[in-house]
Amino acid sequence: MSELTLLVLKLGFLVLLWVFVFMIVYALRSDLFGPRARRLPASETPAPPLPAPAPAPAPVAAGSPVAASLPTAPIGSDQPATASRLVITSGAKEGLEVPLTDEQLTIGRSSESGLVIRDDYTSTHHARLLRWKGEWMLEDLGSTNGTFIGGNRVTSPTAVPLNTPVKIGTTTFELRR
Amino acid sequence: MPPNVSLPAGRTGPNDTGAGTLTSSIRIRLRTPARLRNLELFLLVLAGALGLGAMALGQLGMTGETDAGILWSFAILGVFVLAFHVVLRVVAPNADPFILPIVSTLNGIGIGMIYRLDLYSGTTGWASDGVRQIVWTAIAIAAAIAVVIAFRNHRVLQRYRYIAMFIGIVLLLLPLLPGIGREVNGARVWINIGVASFQPGELAKIALAVFFAGYLVTARDTLSLVGKKVLGIRFPRMRDLGPILVIWAAAMAVLVFQRDLGTSLLYFGLFLVMLYVATARVGWIILGLVLFIGGAVVASQTLGYVNGRFNAWLDAFNPAVYDSVGGSYQLVQGLFGMASGGLLGNGWGLGRPDLTPLAKSDYIFAALGEELGLAGVFAILALMLILVSRGFRIGFNGQDDFGRLLAVGLSFVIALQVFIVIGGVTRVIPLTGLTTPFLAAGGSSLLANWVIAALLLRLSDTVRNQPRVVVSP
Repeated sequence: MSELTLLVLKLGFLVLLWVFVFMIVYALRSDLFGPRARRLPASETPAPPLPAPAPAPAPVAAGSPVAASLPTAPIGSDQPATASRLVITSGAKEGLEVPLTDEQLTIGRSSESGLVIRDDYTSTHHARLLRWKGEWMLEDLGSTNGTFIGGNRVTSPTAVPLNTPVKIGTTTFELRR
Repeated sequence: MPPNVSLPAGRTGPNDTGAGTLTSSIRIRLRTPARLRNLELFLLVLAGALGLGAMALGQLGMTGETDAGILWSFAILGVFVLAFHVVLRVVAPNADPFILPIVSTLNGIGIGMIYRLDLYSGTTGWASDGVRQIVWTAIAIAAAIAVVIAFRNHRVLQRYRYIAMFIGIVLLLLPLLPGIGREVNGARVWINIGVASFQPGELAKIALAVFFAGYLVTARDTLSLVGKKVLGIRFPRMRDLGPILVIWAAAMAVLVFQRDLGTSLLYFGLFLVMLYVATARVGWIILGLVLFIGGAVVASQTLGYVNGRFNAWLDAFNPAVYDSVGGSYQLVQGLFGMASGGLLGNGWGLGRPDLTPLAKSDYIFAALGEELGLAGVFAILALMLILVSRGFRIGFNGQDDFGRLLAVGLSFVIALQVFIVIGGVTRVIPLTGLTTPFLAAGGSSLLANWVIAALLLRLSDTVRNQPRVVVSP
């Protein structure tokens, strides 16, 4: 084995080792530098800390040619009228915020739920929150103690207005923009 | 707000119908896990190339030819790792994709170095540490697979925290039993089981991490909020701190009795960090450091072997210290080795790491420094760093407090162990005998660290699968 070959092999090994390290770092980049910036609608960037109640979706949806495509907007595109986060307003985790994605959010005592509420009044599969035609609908899944939107028990899938207290067990949350 | 409305509309193409969103959300759900596992597979291929390369280059450098037999037996390990990968695809598809490749690479590089040192000493078969290391790696991977399959949910461990405490104490006490305990190089930390000897303290650290995490989760409120304030630090009531303090003191006493400083330092650090993470009181760190420095000073004055270590550290190049028994010969040989390696190293099989005593276990880092140079050693440290940072990340993202504490504790154990060993070898801190995780020869250390890796994988899978928020009183 000539010395040159060994030198090349030695350097080759070191290069491969560093390639491996940088592969991992490259794959990790979102962890190191935060998620890749997406081109977001302007509304998302300067989000005020506590936006006032929205002027309701109706005026936007009414008649505008854009409205038809609104519910099908891709994930992450924050529409002005729909909630983007769920804020717990009373209960054990008061003040906690949960960002809402396009997927449904299941609520219940089961640890498979997206929002797990462990108290004596919550059923295993209590309710679910899903986005339907651009609105967040709350469906009670046959819970024992009921789900209340603004004090009214939910019997059929009901749209959840913004900034309205939803009560499940001892926890109350609101949807906010 | 017209601009807000028009922008998302501009982004939705004509094909993007309601059905489109539905299928795309399903596609995302199906693809994300596979994407993680595919990334892992890709990195595993690189890891395998690195391991095989280390092995083959070590043989080329030493003998000028490659021995197909040992390369094949090494390739069997590749099959084990791939089996682990496939198991993860089924039982933990959302697990972190970096842990397995990093761990496999480190392990492969370690085996390469150990085998290359075997070639120098001419041992073959079961007498060869390299062959034993391969077998132990296979056992360790099998154990890690078993852990991932057996524990579908890490919260099960929380239930067994007192059993974990018991197991940890028993493991620590085992080497003191007259029948099976064995003393090697002054430290009584080994047990003999038939053909192999085993260092149960390595496994005890996992058990104690589980116990600390489980106990601190239930007791942390009382620990951090109740109690008297002395010198600006709130000290908890004895009845809250009692159990954990007793366990910790017992562990320390046993270790001091076994003359195993490195491990006792490891447990001390683990205890301190988990207490800090659980209670978020900086006072613990300050108190712990003061206690540790005080203890170290006292020990260096009173205990002969500790004093020797300190002398060898501070006065390493003094010929008297260098030549004395238990002096700095090993430390200085390691430093000379790394110095001869320089920036790019001598190349696999072309240095003389065999001149350093215990080059395969305690001093494997110096051996790697000699043959891979600073460039290679930094790459290895970078891999360790990424591994530990993944562990912290898993803890950070975790939803349940037990999982968070456990992930932080386990990854901190790896980090501290790396620091203690490599700091000792590079003369940053006094030398204490510990194994370098995943690199050094030693079955118990491999087994324990692979189990830690498996637990981190399991935790990372539950983190991604977990509910976004848990509201519990």
